[in-house]
Amino acid sequence: MQILWAFRCNPLRTRTQARGFQVVEQALRRTKMKKNLPVLAAFLLAGCLFSGGQQSPSGADPGKPFEPTRNVEWIVTSNAGGGSDIFTRAISDIIVKEGFFQAPILVTNKTDGGGEVGRAQTAGTSGVLANHTLLTFNSGDLMPMVKNTPNRVENFKPIGIMAVDKQLIFVTPDSKYKTFQAVLKAVQAGQKVVMGGSKGDDIATYDLLRSELKWTEAQMPFITYDSTNDALTAILGKHVDIVISKPAAAAEYVEAGKLLPILALAIERYTGNLSSAPTLSELGNYKNVELPVWRGVVGPAAMSPAAQAYWSGILKKVSETETWKTNYLDKFKLVGEYKNWQEATEYMTQYQKDYMAAQNIK
Amino acid sequence: MENILMLFSGFSTVFAFNNLAACLFGALMGLIVGAMPGIGSLAGCALLLPLTYKFNPTTAIIMLGAVYYANMYGGAFSAILLNIPGDSPAVMTAVDGYPMATTRGRPGQALFVSNISSCIGGFIGILILTFTGPALAEIGLAFGPAEMTSLLLMAMTSVGWLMGESPIKGVIATLLGIILANIGMDTLSGSPRFNFGSLYLMGGIPFIPFVIGSVGFAQIIKIMENRNADPQKLNQKLTIRSSLLSIKEFRRLLPPAIRSGFLGTFVGVLPGAGATTAAFLGYAAQRPFKSEEPLGTGAVEGIAACEAANNAAAAGAFAPLLALGIPGSGTGAVLLGGLIMWGLTPGPLLFTKSPDFAWGLIASLYLANLCALFIAAGIIPFLVKILSVPIKLMIPLITVVCFVGAYSSSNSMYGVLVMLLSGVLGYILDKHKYPLAPMLLAFVLAPMLESNMRKAFIISQGSLSIFVTRPISLVFLAIMAALILFPVIKTAIKRIRKESPK
Repeated sequence: MQILWAFRCNPLRTRTQARGFQVVEQALRRTKMKKNLPVLAAFLLAGCLFSGGQQSPSGADPGKPFEPTRNVEWIVTSNAGGGSDIFTRAISDIIVKEGFFQAPILVTNKTDGGGEVGRAQTAGTSGVLANHTLLTFNSGDLMPMVKNTPNRVENFKPIGIMAVDKQLIFVTPDSKYKTFQAVLKAVQAGQKVVMGGSKGDDIATYDLLRSELKWTEAQMPFITYDSTNDALTAILGKHVDIVISKPAAAAEYVEAGKLLPILALAIERYTGNLSSAPTLSELGNYKNVELPVWRGVVGPAAMSPAAQAYWSGILKKVSETETWKTNYLDKFKLVGEYKNWQEATEYMTQYQKDYMAAQNIK
Repeated sequence: MENILMLFSGFSTVFAFNNLAACLFGALMGLIVGAMPGIGSLAGCALLLPLTYKFNPTTAIIMLGAVYYANMYGGAFSAILLNIPGDSPAVMTAVDGYPMATTRGRPGQALFVSNISSCIGGFIGILILTFTGPALAEIGLAFGPAEMTSLLLMAMTSVGWLMGESPIKGVIATLLGIILANIGMDTLSGSPRFNFGSLYLMGGIPFIPFVIGSVGFAQIIKIMENRNADPQKLNQKLTIRSSLLSIKEFRRLLPPAIRSGFLGTFVGVLPGAGATTAAFLGYAAQRPFKSEEPLGTGAVEGIAACEAANNAAAAGAFAPLLALGIPGSGTGAVLLGGLIMWGLTPGPLLFTKSPDFAWGLIASLYLANLCALFIAAGIIPFLVKILSVPIKLMIPLITVVCFVGAYSSSNSMYGVLVMLLSGVLGYILDKHKYPLAPMLLAFVLAPMLESNMRKAFIISQGSLSIFVTRPISLVFLAIMAALILFPVIKTAIKRIRKESPK
């Protein structure tokens, strides 16, 4: 009965599924053959067929490998042309070009409710669609979702993580603060240093940095801009003192001598023209501050384990292509770090746990 | 001088056959995309972006630049003919364009006014871009939160000119706009507000469906209500000849178009303000100047002021994009994404590293501006025929256009729901003579004002001094004070003069 119990407690089961399992349960009670496992299995199978109609064959037989049999809907919660959209289209282009499978991929932008609608819809997708629905899911999506809605990582089947990114702190060359030591000194002397940055990831890293340095929000206020580009505009116009950014957005300004990296928010220093920025532990008795910004893919909770493994394998194949490395990772200065579905599940769950603890979310 | 030489080398790039073809194709696509409600330049560029992967970068940006640019022309078509703005910058065009096309029965002239003003505004913007280029972008940088707050406060006072007959109704409409704009995500802390637990409302009320509903769909409800009252439609033959502007009308559109050209370019350069804001401000700035017919009843000046402003802003927005790699608008961000895909790194080095590309793009804007003008002028005689379609056929057709436009803004029925509800709202407001323009202006400006003001207060730690110690900000506040006090002083002087002869 444990299996049944698990299904009944699953908040995402659909009404048809629920009805199906009620029938199975009633049948079990009537026959009083709870201990008879083969019969139970037969009933379960019948229940599955009854509830979903075509509740994918792989759901009933986990041994059989999954193959997409219909259009694959890939949901992106950013606008066409946004970061998640470019990521998704880069992957789907490679899949089509390399012919990893034949079913068409439809990338759909669902931007309602700041993306929460698309995420909630994906989480609740069931039946045969569940195996053919993917959602691009980043750390920057997880944070507002967990903060503002009851939706959680547990409502998805993580499929993989494709890339990670970290951040740095920059100043303009003619700034009051030429190094992060100068910032530390200024704040200790009672001055206020204003930091600019984008939403989501940047705020989370700012919070982490502030808690490591034991500063209050008044000592280092943070101004949220709509995008990293807006934040960079603000520091170029000297409206904020320091700015937090991912390397890709700032690289060109560093090359042109308009921005100076002063702190790497990472375990170790960057290479190339960002190598001059020290990590926090180099500057005193602090721990390094690093909050990886990851880009991943998840499926609905109702996705079968076979499909989950299948999609994870596809992503692995994509991550190994040369096009992915040159046309995506290098271009956007990201670190390729493929994690399969098991690793991604563990990683995302832990990330959510840390975030909820840091933000006091229950 | 160097700029002109670079520009000419840019022209030689553009006049290659494939670039010319790309420019023409882009202009045509832009007109179509612009005229379709709900699909603006953002979606248009994003949809065409994948097409350009195989192009060389210069050809690709020329095509997308032309799409972006011609879009501003196209948006006015449906605004003037159907009272449904094709994209958000055309919202204000509908205010004077639709009455001119229907009540005054001069749709051809209204379209020509909008086209020619677009062209004039665009040329002013591109000329300024050519000669000042990177310097123009530096002006944008000087505008921080404090400066933007003062500028927006000043802009908000222009609501006073849009009030119509009853100031109280105008104020109510403005406040309604502000209230509706507050729904959604708090821009600074990222927490939802006034969403009543709804996931959809968490993202706020989307502007395009809101405008299509409150302006366009409200219009349909109104027409249906009066469908028997006004059976006769304009039946006169509309030919190119009867659509042409007289010299007098051309003279009338010139001053507002030139004024808006400069104003629009300036607004386009500012961070976070785009063509829509420019059109609102261009229209509001027209209010103090006299026009033959009162604004809002089909005045040539009203159409000219906002159409010139939005095209100029589209050109101005290229300055920060090219010089600094900073997109001034959503469409700019898509173009920026395009640059990265084509293997160019946008940013401060673009002009020095890829001059062919940067100047080719600027040269293509001149060409795109002309292409759009000629293509648009060529199709005006066919477009105006839309108005001779009987009302009983128009109502279902426009309703379908409203639904499709609202749906395509975010590919969901939420947009349609917003459109229907704001249609009812717009109808009720109109029925009771509440002006719509202040509500839409407040809806666009209030969120920008709020986020800039709060950013300024974070920087100043809550002190008001930040607004008066910065020179640019102080100047805008002074202008605002002058604008508010001017009518008061004027009446006071009049009264003194009246009394003094005694």
